Amino acid sequence: MKLELDNLTKEFGRFVAADHINLTMTNGVYGLLGVNGAGKTTLMRMLCTLLKPTDGNIYCNGKDIFKMDGEYRNLLGYLPQDFGFYPEFTVKDYLFYIAAIKGVRPAVARKRTNELIFKVGLTKVADRKMKKLSGGMKRRAGIAQAMLNNPEILILDEPTAGLDPNERIRFRNLISELSEERLVLLSTHIVSDIEYIANEILMMKDGAIVNKGTLDEIISTMPEKVWNCLVPQQAVSSITKRYKVSNMKSDNHGVYLRIISTEKPCETAECVSPSLEDVFLYYFGEKVGDDNDVL
Amino acid sequence: MMIMTYFELKKIFSKPVNKIIFIILAVTLCVVSYFAIVSVGYVDENGSTTTGIAAASALRKVLEKNAFINNSEEYLSKDVTENNKAYSKKQGFSDIRDMINRAYGGFQSYNYYRADSVTQEEISSFYDRRTANLAEWLHSDEQKQRYSKQEQQFLIAQYEKLETPFYYEYADGWKALLEYAPTIIMLLVLITAFPISGIFSDEIQLKADSIFFSAKSGRNKAIAAKIKAGFIAVTSIYWLTIMLYSGMVLAVLGIGGADCAIQNGFSNWKSFYNITYLQDYLLTVSGGYLGNLFILFLSMLVSAKTHSKALAVTIPFMLLFMPSFLSGISVLSEVLGLLPDQLLQVCTAIKTFNLYQIGNKIVGAVPIILIMYFILFCILPPVLYQVYRKTEIK
Repeated sequence: MKLELDNLTKEFGRFVAADHINLTMTNGVYGLLGVNGAGKTTLMRMLCTLLKPTDGNIYCNGKDIFKMDGEYRNLLGYLPQDFGFYPEFTVKDYLFYIAAIKGVRPAVARKRTNELIFKVGLTKVADRKMKKLSGGMKRRAGIAQAMLNNPEILILDEPTAGLDPNERIRFRNLISELSEERLVLLSTHIVSDIEYIANEILMMKDGAIVNKGTLDEIISTMPEKVWNCLVPQQAVSSITKRYKVSNMKSDNHGVYLRIISTEKPCETAECVSPSLEDVFLYYFGEKVGDDNDVL
Repeated sequence: MMIMTYFELKKIFSKPVNKIIFIILAVTLCVVSYFAIVSVGYVDENGSTTTGIAAASALRKVLEKNAFINNSEEYLSKDVTENNKAYSKKQGFSDIRDMINRAYGGFQSYNYYRADSVTQEEISSFYDRRTANLAEWLHSDEQKQRYSKQEQQFLIAQYEKLETPFYYEYADGWKALLEYAPTIIMLLVLITAFPISGIFSDEIQLKADSIFFSAKSGRNKAIAAKIKAGFIAVTSIYWLTIMLYSGMVLAVLGIGGADCAIQNGFSNWKSFYNITYLQDYLLTVSGGYLGNLFILFLSMLVSAKTHSKALAVTIPFMLLFMPSFLSGISVLSEVLGLLPDQLLQVCTAIKTFNLYQIGNKIVGAVPIILIMYFILFCILPPVLYQVYRKTEIK
């Protein structure tokens, strides 16, 4: 499976949501990282044929996906950020219906629905109406619907948003399990999710892919170092004005800061290995707010 | 496709708000049927009025008795005195009285007591009076400008084509049925608009659109299934309600008189459509069905294009009530006769003198609206399909 994005551009009036994106993806898990409004959802919607690009093309194994029409969508599984459903349908009904619109034959749909209900842990609530499910259960039903046609391309937009830590870990593991031998594109701004399951990371900013590579490659692209230091409370304000601070924790001894900087920010600072979160902050952590703010 | 259609129907019928709407429809059906049934009245020799089943039964007995008298020796006798004896035993029937009043009054006037002064000489020209009244009216200064020569000839020819003498029997069941048919058909279109308008926009409102359109059949068969579900829902709701309404009214008031010309009685005396009550009923319910389909598919189209159920629901209201506001503008009268609300009241439309010239032929409004809206309705599903197919999720 090969997806090629060729000069892909999407404009909404004067706003450029996707800016001349060139990218090739094959089987594996791709983590799409970016702040809100970076263009992640727009990119995913174009990949799902929900939006037509203003310019450029998307090719699936060399064919234009918009010309492939149903043939392309047959390869696709999509879990959108705002996962909507039919509240009066039971979980089973909902999955049967989605299987039908995905063109899965009824006998196969029945088998696949039961398998997926079991796999996502919804067996006990299979006959419960969708509107009565918890947030986590709804998300699990969402991933089950995306998998109904055993897709070769799985696109997940913020799949763990709003889940509690237990649900998130469970969901992450489920995605890892389902990612074998297919192309998975996972968008999130929960950096740890990407760190755990993505083979390749795509960093998106202002509609463009600004950086891509494996976790180590991405981390190695950061030209600055990461420092841990303990400073007195009154020094925090001046440090945050001068440096990017990726973490801050107070206790009786003072404030522990994690600082991204080329130079040593203070005498007591200790150089540590950067994490993806530090890289995220380096690329996307712009200075906002007032001049004298702390947080 | 069948499974998709089944689930589309399930989406419509499982919504709690739609369940409430169907209860409202059932209540409306009962109320309108009740009014139709009690609209038939009978005044007995003591001056007491009965309505509904009792009136229908009394009226049937009166007519049976009159028919019996008509075959009696006195009535068939050549002696006028014997005839008068028979006549004195018969009970008056308001329909016949109304027709005499209409025939011997002017075309645009009605004298309640004209029947009392009609002479035996005059009565022989009863049927001719209908056409004569029309001709007189058409040649009046006021109407000369309104109808062309060809239109006048058409109307007179239609009047002359009416088969006389009338076949007459008790037909109050059909009359009551037709009197309230436009009410039930109009209420049907207004009520059905609520569940139907959501078929397309609900996907967007529920945010289920992303999954729907990214599915293999999301931009083809699944849309066709929605259209099919809309058609099935409109058809089943319409015919179930109409069958129940017709069944209730006719079961109580009787099905007699189906073959009587609609010109029998007061309300359709002037109509130039030479049809029977049964034909009038079939035209009314068929026109109503076509009107329901056209208006509700138009609502679905608005829902698919604007993604707004609220806007889609207003379409039937606009189409039904707009003509009332425009009816005062005389230059629009010809256009108003062709608006879709006319389809919902064919039994009323057949009473009006809306004429249109197609080539060299003069035609009434009813055949035009039936053909025109059938063609327009056939265009709507492919347009609806294309409009929804092009939906983008922004």
